Amino acid sequence: MDQVTIDVWLYGPLAHYGGNEGNIFAQINVTLPKGSVLRDVLAQLHLPTEERGITFINGNLSAMPGLQPDLDHQLNDGDRVAFFHLKSMWPFQYRHDVASIPEFKASLESREDKGLQSRYDSQK
Amino acid sequence: MWILRLNMTDRSYKLEAVPERYKNLGGRGLTSTLIYDEVDPMCHPLGPNNKLVFAPGIITGTSSPTSARLSVGGKSPLTGGIKEANAGTGWAPSVAKMHLKAIVVEGQPEETGKYWMVAISWEGDKPKVEFMPADEYVGRNLYEAFPEVYSRFGDRVHVAGIGAAGEFKYPNSGIVFNDMKDRPSRYAGRGGLGAVMGSKGLKFIVVDSAGAPGVEILNPELFKEGSKKMREALMEHAITKPKGGLNSYGTAILVNILNEAGGLPTRNFSAGRFAGAAKIAGEAIFETNKQRMGKEIYNHACSPGCIIQCSNTLYAPDGSEIASCIEYESDWAFGADCGIDDLDKIGEMVTLCNAYGLDTIEAGVTMGVAMDSGVIPFGDADGAIRLLHEMGKGTPLGRILGGGAAMVAKTYGNPRSPTVKGQAMPAYEPRAVKGIGVTYATTTMGADHTAGYTIAPEILSVGGKSDPLASETAKADLSRAFQSTTALIDSSGHCLFIAFAILDIPTGFQGMVDEINAIFGTSMTGDEAVAMGAEILKRERAFNEAAGFTRHDDRLPEFMKYEKLPPHNVTNDLPDSVFDAVFGNL
Repeated sequence: MDQVTIDVWLYGPLAHYGGNEGNIFAQINVTLPKGSVLRDVLAQLHLPTEERGITFINGNLSAMPGLQPDLDHQLNDGDRVAFFHLKSMWPFQYRHDVASIPEFKASLESREDKGLQSRYDSQK
Repeated sequence: MWILRLNMTDRSYKLEAVPERYKNLGGRGLTSTLIYDEVDPMCHPLGPNNKLVFAPGIITGTSSPTSARLSVGGKSPLTGGIKEANAGTGWAPSVAKMHLKAIVVEGQPEETGKYWMVAISWEGDKPKVEFMPADEYVGRNLYEAFPEVYSRFGDRVHVAGIGAAGEFKYPNSGIVFNDMKDRPSRYAGRGGLGAVMGSKGLKFIVVDSAGAPGVEILNPELFKEGSKKMREALMEHAITKPKGGLNSYGTAILVNILNEAGGLPTRNFSAGRFAGAAKIAGEAIFETNKQRMGKEIYNHACSPGCIIQCSNTLYAPDGSEIASCIEYESDWAFGADCGIDDLDKIGEMVTLCNAYGLDTIEAGVTMGVAMDSGVIPFGDADGAIRLLHEMGKGTPLGRILGGGAAMVAKTYGNPRSPTVKGQAMPAYEPRAVKGIGVTYATTTMGADHTAGYTIAPEILSVGGKSDPLASETAKADLSRAFQSTTALIDSSGHCLFIAFAILDIPTGFQGMVDEINAIFGTSMTGDEAVAMGAEILKRERAFNEAAGFTRHDDRLPEFMKYEKLPPHNVTNDLPDSVFDAVFGNL
């Protein structure tokens, strides 16, 4: 198989990138060449990466506002990718020790605060 | 400052000068210390020896933002342990402005089935307290009774009370307070404290602080500085600022997030993802209102002086209110956990809980257990509404449901009882969100999502330098640090949601410490303030131990060890030593 099909979920105001103007959510399938990475999905959707916040790949946390270590994450056929808008939130204590992609985990570990922030774009 | 004692045996009262031991306490610190000092841990929660304590936070009643919180404490009829239930309401600052540090309800009337109300107002140089019969409000829907209380006492009063659930003395019964529009919608909901109030024959406490002197601040300059820092942090942070995450979408903004994470408990905790989640999420509430009302509607404050303003209202197509407000946990409990994806029906169920005096989390999880036990099918919204009415009317089945999720699981022989210490788990699946599982299992309160908030990255240092988030001792250390921090915030009178902002903007945390120091004339450091939180936990823990709890009660339910949770197919694989280490090292 030369192509992969990705199950993409877009929430809130991002729904229009999936062709739904209702601002609630959109679900679309995105087909890409084998070996494609997350930034290729964004490109196909014309979704600027700075407009997305919390992101999941197969239920694994891959990005938060201000922290996007997932752009080069390679995707497999049938992967589910979910993009959230920047008003969305997930405070630390409600996501502490959840499943995440290896790049995200490494990114938190390399921080002095070990990721203990509500989000990563608001520190003074 | 006084402690007001209401004796329900003979309907007398006493205004007591605040003892030295309680001078620098407030909110949860004060309710838990009073319960620890004065209540026999082995007493029956509904007998004459339990006490019900209301205490505004340390800062409550001042001009500091998002600080109108109240703690209510007692021995819980649901868990059998100590309980602090917390609400945001104008009732709290009114009490604080009358220099009442706490109201302690004691004793029990000899007559059964008779109810009184207490009116507290300011007269001359002290509070005036009157007892009066309240039988005319008994057995009534709170949406009918509240307007009658308001027309009797006037618009400026604030009301605390119980609904039918408290009168029936259900282990699931909350204490209701008015919101900004005098709706009976702000609940100190968890742990069945409504039943404790009902057992004392007390229906309402109506307060009117007109003419009262207001909260005394020993260092006004420092206070101004502190609350400015707090205000700036809340105004700036993306989650807490006006038209930010919480103000736009409310707490139900978490529905889609937890669903994608595979951590949204679905159909009585049998899955972590719900196909109908997006239809009931905060984004759907916001857009539904926009379509029905023809404009964007941002959320409102539950209580005076709040910047965050996270309370939503769901409107019907005709513009009438279906519910105010639908919190994430309520939305999830009647939604995903019951397999229901109809927002309007979920709203109707939230309003019924408010009308009958029920805790929405316990009621929703109870409904999920009932569905899982074959009482009604999953997804049967009308059936669930019928069962809520049975609870409100006190039918035999309604009384069993009023016993809470653990009671229903036991009655129907269902081992899938998603409870800790008898209290239903909130909307974060501990098999998927392992960090919160440690807190659910070990908090003194029974499963509680509000027991472990964090405000400073420095807290990581409690776990040492190596691998602070991964190692097992670190999990326990972090949970303990989170729980201590939370006990501090619950004592301050600030809403827990300030934590979202001040975790990222450290001046906000300093602001809170400044405010507390300013009120008391003390000079605590941040570390000392968090240590105060740890002291509160110690007292709560000591009470629970004396009430018969052991480390074996600090566990997640067994089924989570052997039932895999899809989509991640995970179990609770944490060794018991992690749970034991949380309070073993306090």
